[in-house]
Amino acid sequence: MDSLVSELPARERQSGASREHLPKLIRNALIVAIAYYLGAELAFLIGTLSDKIFAPFWPPNIVLFCALLITPTRQWWIFILAALPAHIVAEAQVGMPPDQSLVAFATNCAVALLNAFAVQRVLVEPPWFGTIRKAMAYVFITAFMSPALCAFGGAFVQILGGGAIENYGLYWARWYASNALGSLTLGPIAMIMLERVRSPVISLRHVEAALVAISLIVACIIAFEDLSTLASRYVPALLYLPLPIIVLATARFGAKGASGSIFVISLVLVWRTLNGPSLFDIGNAETNVFAMQLFLIALSTPILLLGAAIDETRHAEIATRAREERIAFAAASSSVGLWQHEIATGEFWATEYCRTLFGLPPGAPLDLDTLLSQIHPSDFLTASGALKSAIGRPATLEIEFRVGHNGSEERWISARAQPVLGGDGKPAAMTGAFADATLRKTAEAEADMQRQEIAHLMRVSMLGELSGGLAHELTQPLTAILSNAQAGKMLLAKGNKYLTVIGNIFDNSITEDDRAGEVIHRLRGLLKKGEVKYELVDMNELIASTLRLLHSELIDRRISIHRAQVTHLAQVRGDPVQLQQILLNLFINAMDAMEDVAPARRTISVRTATTDEGGVVVRIADRGTGLPPSQEKSVFQPFFTTKKRGLGLGLSICASIVKLHGGTLSLQNNVSEGAIAIFRLPPPMG
Amino acid sequence: MGEAGFTTFLVDDDPAVLRSITRLLKAAGYRTRSFLSPQKFLSSHDPSIPGCAIIDLVMSEIDGLDVQQALIDTGSERPIIFLTGKADISSSVKAMKAGAVDFLTKPVQREALFSALVNAAKVDAACRQKRLESKSIGERLATLTHREREVLEHVIAGKLNKQIAASLGTVEKTVKVHRGRMMSKLGVRCVADLVRLADKAGIAPAHQLVGQGSN
Repeated sequence: MDSLVSELPARERQSGASREHLPKLIRNALIVAIAYYLGAELAFLIGTLSDKIFAPFWPPNIVLFCALLITPTRQWWIFILAALPAHIVAEAQVGMPPDQSLVAFATNCAVALLNAFAVQRVLVEPPWFGTIRKAMAYVFITAFMSPALCAFGGAFVQILGGGAIENYGLYWARWYASNALGSLTLGPIAMIMLERVRSPVISLRHVEAALVAISLIVACIIAFEDLSTLASRYVPALLYLPLPIIVLATARFGAKGASGSIFVISLVLVWRTLNGPSLFDIGNAETNVFAMQLFLIALSTPILLLGAAIDETRHAEIATRAREERIAFAAASSSVGLWQHEIATGEFWATEYCRTLFGLPPGAPLDLDTLLSQIHPSDFLTASGALKSAIGRPATLEIEFRVGHNGSEERWISARAQPVLGGDGKPAAMTGAFADATLRKTAEAEADMQRQEIAHLMRVSMLGELSGGLAHELTQPLTAILSNAQAGKMLLAKGNKYLTVIGNIFDNSITEDDRAGEVIHRLRGLLKKGEVKYELVDMNELIASTLRLLHSELIDRRISIHRAQVTHLAQVRGDPVQLQQILLNLFINAMDAMEDVAPARRTISVRTATTDEGGVVVRIADRGTGLPPSQEKSVFQPFFTTKKRGLGLGLSICASIVKLHGGTLSLQNNVSEGAIAIFRLPPPMG
Repeated sequence: MGEAGFTTFLVDDDPAVLRSITRLLKAAGYRTRSFLSPQKFLSSHDPSIPGCAIIDLVMSEIDGLDVQQALIDTGSERPIIFLTGKADISSSVKAMKAGAVDFLTKPVQREALFSALVNAAKVDAACRQKRLESKSIGERLATLTHREREVLEHVIAGKLNKQIAASLGTVEKTVKVHRGRMMSKLGVRCVADLVRLADKAGIAPAHQLVGQGSN
């Protein structure tokens, strides 16, 4: 029986794949006919009831059902036709009259067709017992609905064979039980065998399955064999003997184990019931068999459902694990490690990639504290503090920090986390991702360095343009010092009369030296290539300092400055050197724009004001030629210039500096004349 | 070191520079007047005071060169020394062409300043001398009659009395009288002195129409 069920469907699967070929179809039909005949013979071999016709357990229906199940509906008639001669021959051998045989065949076909049709529609595709829902649908269709319906016709088989019409209810029940039992015991194992291609390699699992099967057979034989020698009150206890093994098989092998166990126990029990002292010793043979049938139906239904439930859980687990692995792989491929922290239990889960990210060796424990301990000492306090305090707060977290201790390679990691809310609406877990931000950070640092480099070059070139004026700024104090000193020397030669004047000379010299020193200090500030240092800046002071630097140049170019400023200007946060660079650039642009303007009209007006948000706005307006029409935007493009000898980088650098400071810079033509640069800086944060 | 009555007029809009150079000049014994504003210097300028002006080239109010031009425009011949923070060729050429005595670069060395001042003093003195001379010559010339003046112009043209008489349509004797009177009025004893004087006074010799004929 086992070899039949397992051999046949494999061939049928092949035939299903090439159903277009007529010879194969004919071959399959032949196989079904033979299987149907053998199934019937097997049923007779195991044993039929006293009338030798009515089998408690009827494999041919299952053969037909399985054949139909894997075949398209339009080809079903071929298999029905193929089964008919097999049926007639088999029944004729046990002496069934043709009319009775035909009715039996009709009802057999009806139940197989109804089962196949409903299962195909409702369960759609294998795995047939993959979920508990499918298993329940299968049990309902094949063990209740269709046999119950078809039994109304099947009951007539026995009436035609001479049964009394009053016993119609009994015949109905027998026919029903016989088919329901077949569906529950033979159906599942046959269908599961049809589902899978068996692996030819004998694995430990096969050995285990064989051991479980053997012990189940032994348990069944002991349970049912010893029955005759034991007192009948032990019956319930003995009935439970195979149960642990059935449950074990189901737990280990799911629906497969369940269907296999049901098959084994049914086989043993049916055989014992028909051929030996009956376990169900109620009355006559028919009643005993019926009781056995009910017992098997009642046993196999929950076992089958349990198997399906276990399969479903296992598949869900496998699917979850596969999904997790997929996500972890995808995350790792994009240099992201995933993690989750259960707040209540403190349990921490993280993907393998987190180890790589944090520079942990393969064997190191993957818990929160180990990860945190890898954070760079200078970022440790802020980063670990932020991560720890974020746990338990219903807000998302975004933080960047470095990992790697002295010696090991330094990496930038950007961490994001968000709370997972529990059933009570409070955060139950914190889930997040660590991403490798090293490349981006390196690129940013490089870009920043280049930007600073260019900004510095622009400052140097601007100061180069101003060199004449700047030299004058130094020459004035130096002249004063030299003349003072020479005067002092001459006065000293005249004796003590001029000591007061000499004292004044020293005072003035010191003042003038300070003045020269200040110019140099300012220049050095602009010329140095230092780190960007953010501090609170008074823009009025910065403008004043810038104008002092430009003093001689402005005089030389006959440009006057008109200043309008509020006395209590808000402070802004920024790098004074870079901000001064912007001012210097805007002033030089304004000065250059007025080269062709009559000296009397060369005026630059500077206004500062506090904005509504608490930031600062600086407006620098000239009375020059203004911007070329419709080019107010392009002035910030690199290499755009209206000057004869301009690089076209000044304003583009200014724009990037302003952007870094969170401000805005715009340049537009004034309504009346010239252009105006408006330069806004936000209020200092925090 | 400073010469009697010689005044230095210092103009620089940088108070510290102004103060220090003033000190230096005073220490050297120069009478010094300093001006922060070039405008004030111009408005209070007295050309009769002997001296020289030391002017900063780059000032916010008026450019040093403009101050120079303003002085020239008023007819003053005040010698000027320019001081500048940057030695730029075009403005130095402009300044020198307009008659500046010197063009000094800041920070200015004492020796350079003083030697420039000595030069300026010489220029100023020469100027004044010339002005004085031309003033007295002018006064003397004013005493000449029309005929005497005509005679003068012919004499410096190198003509003989006979020729002068011919071109003036008179006799030699009359010319001799006019010539004697003219020479004594102008206080010259010989023709050479007369020629020098006429040159200083800018009197052109008479047209040599007759000379041409005599050739």
